[in-house]
Amino acid sequence: MINKRAQLKIQQMVFMLLAVTLFFVLVGMLVLTLKFSGLKESATELEEKNAMLLVTRIANSPEFSCGKSFGNLKTNCIDADKVMMLKTNIDEYDNFWGRETNIEIMKIYPEGDVICTLGNYPDCHIINLQSKEIHIEHSNFVSLCRKDLINGEVYDKCELAKILVSYKDWQEVQE
Amino acid sequence: MIPKKAQEEMIGFVLIIVLVAVIGLIFLGLSLRNPQKEIVESYEVESFIQSFLQYTTDCGNYRENYLPLQKLISACVDGEICLDERESCAVLSSTLTEIIESSWKVEGDRPIQGYELKIVLEDGTDVIPLINKGNVTKNSKGTSQPFTPLGENYKVDFTVYY
Repeated sequence: MINKRAQLKIQQMVFMLLAVTLFFVLVGMLVLTLKFSGLKESATELEEKNAMLLVTRIANSPEFSCGKSFGNLKTNCIDADKVMMLKTNIDEYDNFWGRETNIEIMKIYPEGDVICTLGNYPDCHIINLQSKEIHIEHSNFVSLCRKDLINGEVYDKCELAKILVSYKDWQEVQE
Repeated sequence: MIPKKAQEEMIGFVLIIVLVAVIGLIFLGLSLRNPQKEIVESYEVESFIQSFLQYTTDCGNYRENYLPLQKLISACVDGEICLDERESCAVLSSTLTEIIESSWKVEGDRPIQGYELKIVLEDGTDVIPLINKGNVTKNSKGTSQPFTPLGENYKVDFTVYY
């Protein structure tokens, strides 16, 4: 027969094990709650990081870059004619640069607020690729170049612009 | 009186609690520290210089009707005159002032406090007078871009204060 002292010891150990298990379960639940509460924030941060990386490199990607159309190979140079053609075929680039990522090119100098369409190009200032509103964004300076005609002579015209990349804000999404 | 063995156990227990608490605090501090978005990013300043140098000005010479800003700097260094009789340095200075004013607005309660642009030759001589606006603050982002055209070498220094 187990004596009373040993029974007490077993009881003590059981209580101790229960307490320790309960403690770890509570801590685990706390950690999980904290982690999942910041999930949307983390998703937005990732989208933001993607937008920042995109904005630094997109001007030199084949869909946008001037290449050698304007003399030497130029960095941060966007071919405006190419972008207008891209805008007309933008449906084929669905989610190509990320989910709900919108790209806008805005002339800084000379300044203006005329939205570009095939009808008014090149006498306009803003090329919005997806024709959606830009909410939160990252931006970078670029040179927006095109071929222009003056007195029957073709020349390269480059203007200063900003490329804006907007990203999805997951914190705005309702559950 | 508490026996010595019990005292030692208590000290050990307290030490473990303190150690766990310190590790926990460090972990909490690190996880709560979010990287702050900079007002001005370095890549913006670098891209700005690269982009404005490609800008097509309204000053031309006998080779090109409209010089890119980078070539206008060389024309200014060589003391050339535009086709419409304006001095290339005057056109350079006014165009750059307008470009920077459009790109980095410092009026009102904007986060940008000021800027400075200088174009200097290898020997330290200014190509055009310093273009600046606003205040010089402790926080800044700047870059220097050297150029080695056929004529004299020069560099473009641009700093934004925020």
